[in-house]
Amino acid sequence: MTAGDALWWDARLGPKHAPMATRADRFWSWSVLLALCHVVQRAKRRYCRPLVIWARTDHGRFLRVGMSILIEDYPYLDVAHPGDAHFVWFMSAADAGVLTNEFGLSHPPALARVLLDNAIILSQNAGFKGRMGLHAAVAGGDVLPKVYERCGLLTLPRAAELPPQVRRLNDGRYFYADEAVAEALAAALDASR
Amino acid sequence: MLWWVVFMSEFMRLDAQAPATLGAVVEAVTRLSTLSEAKILELVSAGKIAELFPFKPANAQAIPADTVAEDELAEASALPLSRKQRDALIDSSLPAAAKKKSRAFSKG
Repeated sequence: MTAGDALWWDARLGPKHAPMATRADRFWSWSVLLALCHVVQRAKRRYCRPLVIWARTDHGRFLRVGMSILIEDYPYLDVAHPGDAHFVWFMSAADAGVLTNEFGLSHPPALARVLLDNAIILSQNAGFKGRMGLHAAVAGGDVLPKVYERCGLLTLPRAAELPPQVRRLNDGRYFYADEAVAEALAAALDASR
Repeated sequence: MLWWVVFMSEFMRLDAQAPATLGAVVEAVTRLSTLSEAKILELVSAGKIAELFPFKPANAQAIPADTVAEDELAEASALPLSRKQRDALIDSSLPAAAKKKSRAFSKG
């Protein structure tokens, strides 16, 4: 993801998403987020990996349809198995209706799964065996946790402790993939790699 | 380290068409880095991040085209990045500043 990708998303999709009250990302400015995430994580001696998902439109050209910012080498959320993982900090999937009606993409892909797959593959290739985690934004209401459940992620029980570096109380909205779940989710998409 | 200082000096204040001072950006980043990622996600989602980070990248650029041809796409590496690749990635997160023309020696 470059500054241009973030600018494009803010200018072309941001205004379409802003009125959608159920979207957790309706106020996100990727232009600000992209730079902010880098500087905040560098201050914590970690690195971010911002990624863009592109999809082929009906006319054969490629369109930005998903954005994410991952944090590399983040503490694994399951404290019973201490280790490192990747953490999905921000992720947005373009609204399917907008993609179809305004950008000529008749069959939008299942973007949440693809965005999570990026984190799993990067984690596997970094030697973390696919372990990843995320926090479902409170602004996503009750719907967002269900999306992650449907994607196959594990829910970190509300009673579970979080790694001390996370500096947050567990509000029951943390999700993760352990090695087995990560491998199963990755294998399910192997045919399309 | 100098490169990192330059990066943080490439911001504008949100409320004024003036560059942010490096000190102000560093102070905001330091404050934000004490918060959890979930807290920052919450602030951003509530549209309140400007209260803690009232800056935007400087050097506005033109909005890219909606679509690109397949041969214009560069696939991101799925492998861990080297330090140099990471630095380049961070560099690309800010709009490129207009390149300054360097003055040549006089030939007269």
